[in-house]
Amino acid sequence: MHSTNTRRLKERRLGRSRAARFTALALAMFAFQAAEASGEKAFLEGIHRHITLASTVADNGDLNPYAVIVAPVSAGKIHKGDVLVDNFNKVSNLQGTGTTIVDYNPATKKTSLFAELPQHLAQCPGGVGLTTAMTMLQSGWVIVGSTPSTDGTTRTKGNGGLIVLDANGQLATVWTGTNINGPWGNIAQIDHGSNATLFVSMSGFDVPSPWVRDPVTRYPVTVKKATVLRLELSIPEGKPPVITSQTVIAHGFAQRANVDAFLVGPTGLALGPDQTLYVSDGVGNQIVAISDAVTRTNSAGTGRLVTKEGLLRRPLALVLAPNGHLLVCNALNGQVVEIDPLSGKQLCAQWVDADQAQSPPGNGDLFGIAMTPDGKGFYYVEDDMNTLVEAR
Amino acid sequence: MPQETQPGQATNNAPSSLEEFVGRLRRSNYLLGDVWGLRPWLSKYGMTLSILETSEVLGNVSGGVQRGFAYDGLTQGVLQLDTQRAFQLYGGTFNVSALQIHGNNLSAQNLYTFQTASGIEADRATRLWELWYQQKFLQEDRLDVKVGQQSLDQEFMVSQNAGLFINTMFGWPMLPSADLPGGGPAYPLSAPGIRVRVRPVNPLNILLGVFNGSPVVNNTVDPQQRNSSGTSFPLNGGALAIAELQYSYPAVGGMVYGNGSQPLGRTYRLGFWYDTERFADQEYDNTGLSLANPKSPGIPATHCGDYAIYAVADQMIWRDPKDEDGDRAINFFVRAMGSPEEDRNIIDMSMNAGFTFHEPIMHRDDDSCGVGMGYAKVGGHAAGLDRDTAFYTGAFHPVQSGETYVEATYQYQLTAWCQLQPDFQYVFNPGAGIANPNAPGQRVKNEAVVGLRMNILF
Repeated sequence: MHSTNTRRLKERRLGRSRAARFTALALAMFAFQAAEASGEKAFLEGIHRHITLASTVADNGDLNPYAVIVAPVSAGKIHKGDVLVDNFNKVSNLQGTGTTIVDYNPATKKTSLFAELPQHLAQCPGGVGLTTAMTMLQSGWVIVGSTPSTDGTTRTKGNGGLIVLDANGQLATVWTGTNINGPWGNIAQIDHGSNATLFVSMSGFDVPSPWVRDPVTRYPVTVKKATVLRLELSIPEGKPPVITSQTVIAHGFAQRANVDAFLVGPTGLALGPDQTLYVSDGVGNQIVAISDAVTRTNSAGTGRLVTKEGLLRRPLALVLAPNGHLLVCNALNGQVVEIDPLSGKQLCAQWVDADQAQSPPGNGDLFGIAMTPDGKGFYYVEDDMNTLVEAR
Repeated sequence: MPQETQPGQATNNAPSSLEEFVGRLRRSNYLLGDVWGLRPWLSKYGMTLSILETSEVLGNVSGGVQRGFAYDGLTQGVLQLDTQRAFQLYGGTFNVSALQIHGNNLSAQNLYTFQTASGIEADRATRLWELWYQQKFLQEDRLDVKVGQQSLDQEFMVSQNAGLFINTMFGWPMLPSADLPGGGPAYPLSAPGIRVRVRPVNPLNILLGVFNGSPVVNNTVDPQQRNSSGTSFPLNGGALAIAELQYSYPAVGGMVYGNGSQPLGRTYRLGFWYDTERFADQEYDNTGLSLANPKSPGIPATHCGDYAIYAVADQMIWRDPKDEDGDRAINFFVRAMGSPEEDRNIIDMSMNAGFTFHEPIMHRDDDSCGVGMGYAKVGGHAAGLDRDTAFYTGAFHPVQSGETYVEATYQYQLTAWCQLQPDFQYVFNPGAGIANPNAPGQRVKNEAVVGLRMNILF
C-alpha cells in the first residue's frame, strides 16, 4: 500500500484547520462525557416515529435504494436539506445496473429525478451501478460510486469508479485508477469548500463470481483485499473537484460475492471528532477504528477492533449521532444498532424495518443512513418497499 | 494517480454477447426483463406491471373416482399505479388485476374432494379479478382505506407460511369456501366493498371490512359462470362484514438490548365474519320435512345470516445459528375456523397446520419445503341429510363426516423468475366419505396425488 501526497499542500491545509478541529474535538468530547455522566439515554431510545416519506423508484423504474445523503447547501436543482437517494438496480432488478439518483424535498414533500446516467459510460470501467458511496460537497458537486455489473452478480463486475456530477445532475468527470475498485461504502468527509477530504471503502478488488465457493465453508470465497481510500480534493471555483492526493489508509478487509447482496465488504464509514475513522466490516461482523485517519500517510491495516458481533448482523452504513454514538444499519435484520465508539459498548438496537416477508424480519432491507439536519432523527431506506423513511 | 476523463457518449444498452444475455436472464427478476422498454415506460407514470404464469400437472395415482393426470394453468396480470410517483399524491395505490384460467380441474374430475388439490383450479375463463383504490392516512400511515372490487383471500385469514403449499385450502379456508355464497369473495371471484386498516400501536393491526354478501348477483348456478368476466359488480343482497385483529412481533420501533439473541418472529390473527344473506338449511325444507323425504317440495328452509370465528398463528420455531445469511429457518403455522351454525353450513369446522423449512439444503438460499395438513368437518344437518337420503331411498348413501389431507412439497428456485415445485398429497376419506359414482356401494377411496408446478414471472 502506498501514499501519493502533495505534502506541502496538505500541510498548509492542516495547519489552517488544526486549531479549529481540535476545538471542535474538545467540545464534542466534553459534550459526550457530560452526557455519559448524566446517564443520558441512548439516542435510539428517543426515536419513536418512523414516517415513510416517498418512493425511491426512479422514473425509469430503477430500484433497490442504497445511498442516503442530505444536501448541505442549495445548488442547481438541489435545495439545502434535500435527501438524495441512489438506486443500485434497474427495473429488472439486476444488481449493479442502477443509474439514477432521486431527490426528495422535505419542504414540498415532492420527489424528482436528480440524475440519470447512461448504463454504459466509456469512462467508467464496466458501466454504471450506483452504490452506497455518495456525497454532496458544499461547492455543489455530487460524487457517487459505481460498482457495475451486467448480469447482476460480481461475475461480470467492472472496476467502476467515482462519478462526479454537477448540481444539476450532469456528468462532469469520472475518477478511476489503481486504487479505485468497487467504491462501496457510505462516504465520510471533511469539507472546507475549496478543498475537501473524502474517505471511501473499496470492496471490489478481485472479487470473483458468487459461484466460486470456498471448498470448506461452501460460501463464496473470501478475498481480503478491500481498502479504505482517502482522497484529498481541490475544488477550483466553478470547476469540478480535482484529486490532489490519494492515500490507502486501511487495507486487508474481507470482501466476498453474495448472490442476494451483490457483495459483502466494508460498507460504513464515519469520522469521529478525534480524526478516528470508524469502519463497518461486514464479513467480520465488526466495527473497527482507523486512528489518525485524516493525517496518516500509511495504511493501518484493518485497524483496531471497536466491537464485534453481539447485536451486529453484518453491519452496513454508519453515521455518527449527536451524542457521539455510532448508528449502524444491520444487513441481516431490520435493526439499527447504537454503539459507543469510545467504550466499544453496544447500547441497544431498534427495529426500523420489521417486514416479516423476510427472515429474520427486515433481512436485506437496510442500506444507507443519514442524520436529519436538526440531529433529532435519521433517514434510511427500505429496500423491500423501495421507500425513504424518516425516524425521529 | 487517478485517471480523469471527460463526459463522453453512452454506449448502447444491448447485451454484447449470448453469454451476457444468458447471464442477465439468469439473474433478472423477470423472464422478459424490461419487456422491450414497457416497464421503464410504465414507471415514468408511476405504474408497475407483474405477469405471473402458474402451470402444473397433477394426477392421482391411487384412489379417486378415476385415475389420471390433468394440466391446469393460471396467468395473473397485476397493474398498479403509485399516485405519489404519478402525480405527487402520497399514499395512494390504484390496482387492477386480471386472470386467465386454463386447463382442467383434477379435483372435480377425479378426486371429488372438498379440499381441492390446487389453489388455481377454477372454471376456464378470462376475467377481471380485483379493481380497487387504497389511500393511506395519518402520520406513520396508521390508517388506510381500500375501496373497490376486492378478493378477501389477499388480506384476511392469511397464513404467510401456508402460501408455500399447492392445496387450495392453505389459501382461502375450507369453511367459507363451502358455506359463503359463491364460496365467498376469493379467487377467482371478488366483491365490491370497503376495507379499513388501523394500526393503533405498531405491533397491532385491525382490519375491518364490509363487502357485498355474495360475489355474484344470483347464486342459483355456478357463480363463476354467472359472473364469467368478473365485471358484474354485484351490489344487491346482503353484506359480508369481517374484522381481524393482527399481532406481530417484532414491530417497528421495538428496542433490543442484551447480547443480541435474535427473536423468533411471529404473527397471530384473530377474526370474525358475519354474512347477512339468507342461507339454506342443509337438511330440512320450508315445511319442516327432510329434503330427502319424497313428500318434500324440495325447497330448503332458509336462515338469516351466518358467521364464524377464526384464528391463525405463524411462528418461527428455529433458526440455524450456523447460517451466515441468517435466513435458514423452520416455521410453524396453524389456522382454525369454526361456526356453531351447523344447520346452514356444509362445513362447520376447518383447520390447517404445517411446517415450512426455508433453505432446507444448505446454500440453496431461495428454496423452501414444507409438510402440511388440512381437515374439514361436515356440519350436522348436512350429515343428517345423508342419513335421511339413505333411509328414504334405501340406497347406498354414506354419511359424510370429515376429510383430511396431508401435503409435502419442495419449491426449487431455478432462477429469480422461475420456480419448480414437485408436490405430493394424500387425502383420507375424500369428500368426507362420499359415495363413488363409478363403484356402486363404495366410498371414494383414499387418494395419492402427485404433481409438478412451475411459476414463471414474466
